[in-house]
Amino acid sequence: MFQFLLPDIGEGLEEAEIVEWLVKVGDVVVRDQPLVEVLTDKASSELPSPVAGRVAVLGGVEGQRILVGQLLIEIDDGVTVKQDFEERETSAQAPAGIPAATPPSTLGSPPPFAAAAPSSSVSPGTRPKAAPATRKFARDLGVDLTQVPGSGPGGRILLEDVQSFSTGKQGGAARSLDPGLGVMPAGRHPLRGVRGAIARNMAQSWSEIPHIHSLDEIDASVLLGFCQESKASGMPLTPLGLTVAALARALRRFPMVNGHINSGEDTQEVVIPEHVNIGVAVATETGLVVPVIKNADHLNVAEICQAIADLAQRGRSGSLLVADLSGGTFTVTNYGSLGGRWALPIIPPGQSAIWGMGRIADRPLVVDGQVVARPALPIVMGADHRLVDGDLLEAFRHEVLGYLADPQKLLAGDIF
Amino acid sequence: MVVGEVAESLDLLVIGGGPGGYAAALHGARLGRTVTLIEKEHLGGVCLNVGCIPSKALLEVADAAALPGRVADWGVAATTSIDMAQVQNHLQQVVSDLTGGVMQLLSQAGVQVVSGTARFSRPNRVAVEHGDSLSHFEFADVIVATGSRPIDLPDLPVDGQRVVGSAELLFSSELPENLVLVGGGYIGVELATAFAKLGSHVTIVEAEKQLLTGFDKRVARLVARGLEKLGVTLLLNHRAQKLESEGLLVAGPEGSVALPADKICVVVGRRPNSDTVGLREAGVLINSQGLVAVDAQRRAADHIFVIGDLTEGPALAHKATAEAEVAAEVACGGAEVFDPTVIPMIVFSDPQVLSVGVDPSQAKKQGLESFRFPFAASGRARTMGDTEGYVSVVADGAGTVVGVHAVGSHVAELAGEAVLAIEMAATVEDLARTIHAHPTLGESFMEAALGLAGRPVHVSRVSKNEKS
Repeated sequence: MFQFLLPDIGEGLEEAEIVEWLVKVGDVVVRDQPLVEVLTDKASSELPSPVAGRVAVLGGVEGQRILVGQLLIEIDDGVTVKQDFEERETSAQAPAGIPAATPPSTLGSPPPFAAAAPSSSVSPGTRPKAAPATRKFARDLGVDLTQVPGSGPGGRILLEDVQSFSTGKQGGAARSLDPGLGVMPAGRHPLRGVRGAIARNMAQSWSEIPHIHSLDEIDASVLLGFCQESKASGMPLTPLGLTVAALARALRRFPMVNGHINSGEDTQEVVIPEHVNIGVAVATETGLVVPVIKNADHLNVAEICQAIADLAQRGRSGSLLVADLSGGTFTVTNYGSLGGRWALPIIPPGQSAIWGMGRIADRPLVVDGQVVARPALPIVMGADHRLVDGDLLEAFRHEVLGYLADPQKLLAGDIF
Repeated sequence: MVVGEVAESLDLLVIGGGPGGYAAALHGARLGRTVTLIEKEHLGGVCLNVGCIPSKALLEVADAAALPGRVADWGVAATTSIDMAQVQNHLQQVVSDLTGGVMQLLSQAGVQVVSGTARFSRPNRVAVEHGDSLSHFEFADVIVATGSRPIDLPDLPVDGQRVVGSAELLFSSELPENLVLVGGGYIGVELATAFAKLGSHVTIVEAEKQLLTGFDKRVARLVARGLEKLGVTLLLNHRAQKLESEGLLVAGPEGSVALPADKICVVVGRRPNSDTVGLREAGVLINSQGLVAVDAQRRAADHIFVIGDLTEGPALAHKATAEAEVAAEVACGGAEVFDPTVIPMIVFSDPQVLSVGVDPSQAKKQGLESFRFPFAASGRARTMGDTEGYVSVVADGAGTVVGVHAVGSHVAELAGEAVLAIEMAATVEDLARTIHAHPTLGESFMEAALGLAGRPVHVSRVSKNEKS
């Protein structure tokens, strides 16, 4: 009998809420099969079974919070399961070639059972509509096809759809809205889970941090041209990825912007972290999550773009780990991907600055004394005025925009 | 384990030389690996040696033998006679040409072929038995493709003489006078078709209420009618019991009868050869049907990949071949996954069967539309003298093709367009607006699509939603 206690699933987290059991008592589970979805302040995660066996006891009901070290689930792993090869019913007239799709009932040892082994009975109507080459392309880019809107006939997902989804461009249009957005049945709902965590954090930030914001709009033609060229080289870069790279370098130069004020009952201190860890806000079905690109100042722009694509994909598929979400020292929010132009974002607790990006669109700009239509990128920089004064804020902003005006500088071997 | 045994160190090992194994070996070699392939019997596996290939060759022979009946009304008088010894030579020649080709491909790719029976002794080691000798190999990666073998009936053991399996039946040098096929799956149906045309009195004993369990009912009905036209006796809902002096005892709803039978062929299905290779000892998970648990990349454990009839899905050569490339790529560091939308199923009955994706009866349940274009309205079918059957196309609400089911002469050859359409997520309009060559059977796809689009050309009655 194996007792699975709630593991310490992230630094400083002491309890987790049982969101949903993925197994029930009596189920046979294989090793690494997800058992339960739990939610901490920081993330929801699926906990895989450390052993194979039969579920004997569930340690709590859905909605219950349990402490680290408490019993989560008990799995009977010691019994000898019948090795019933010879006993199997040969179902005398079974047709060749169409084995029934029954789950494994005999457990040998560890490996995972087929996640989704297709068979001839696969129902084509339930899969994303995309040609084999498109599916392969999506896999290579780490794009989840179920998330990609198809622009082809009958909703067919084309190569271009995957490409533009991957680069976050969505063909210039705002991302299609989640039909569940803003929908909640009438009544009173306990404030918990991701929503509860967001509520606590936002209230803490808003009440503690005196915010200042600085807004600007820059000519993004060079930036976009640079991204366009990068596609041809087979290493597609995005405005968001280049912005994160620029921010990483600026944070390295101005460590105070990367720091924060720790204000407790008996502590008052400025904390300057050793690492530059940039969180990128991603909207998911259950709310906002901010996966973190660790040591962003040590990554080149291609690595940063890849990391963003990977984290965003995992954010949308709900497979982020607590470790992916913790340790951020600075945050970027690309609300432009939702269509917005100007916003005044709130700084997360434990940080002192945030960078917002609006939607790039053609707007009148003055170039060489002439008003011309140019792709304009609205940006906003928010800072904790306790730590960051106006001059530092502007110097930091200037440094970042300098990189965005000439992204070539980001490619030069100036990785720390 | 023998004390002091010495294991030769290998790079990529492939166990099994069938359509999965030899393809995996070729892919591995292409990707720069040093590949060793172990085969216990014949390169090409069941498919090339005793399955798909010789049975199709025999069906061609049978069609040729049945030619006089087919052409009598055309003003052609012909007579045929069959020399079974010569037929066997012909089948052997077809097989040896193909297996020779496989051997040549492997040799050109630099694959080392070892003859023997492999069995895992540790997760990274196999012992290979060849005659009296036993050798040991360690490998960096292994792809296991040991296929499947026929399921036996305990009360009707195969003796290789009177009670045989499909392989022995295909290669028997005498034409049985009274042949009983136990099992009405696709193998039983194909063998019945061939031997009925060659002149045997054939009976199929099938426990289910329809032939070709798992196929659409309408399909099964047309195949049954085709067999009956050939004089095949169908005993559905019957079970073979045992062999008695007066014949094979079969039990049905109205009691038992003894069928005269000089040959009884047991074709009740196949079971995976996961037990004969010691896979359980290698630490992989095997379910009660003998199927090996693999992930989407066909990985069963670290460095152990398993493909073909050993994994879930239809036990068909083309599935194994597709998995082979995935496993080889992944074993060589690639990021492939086995991700087909559909796997086509075909039956070389008379009429033939093609089954891909959602079938019309599933479609009806899911509220999807389908349209059936009968070959009676096809010019090409008329010229070929066989207008039995139809092509049915199923589409979802957005007009995307999700199923193609056909019955008729030569429809197996139409599988390519059907699978391609579904894999590409083609719409009904795509099919309807693609110019198909006239006069061909393939036009029937276009005609069915036109029907689904609401503008049928060569059928007047709109029979949407199998509304016919």
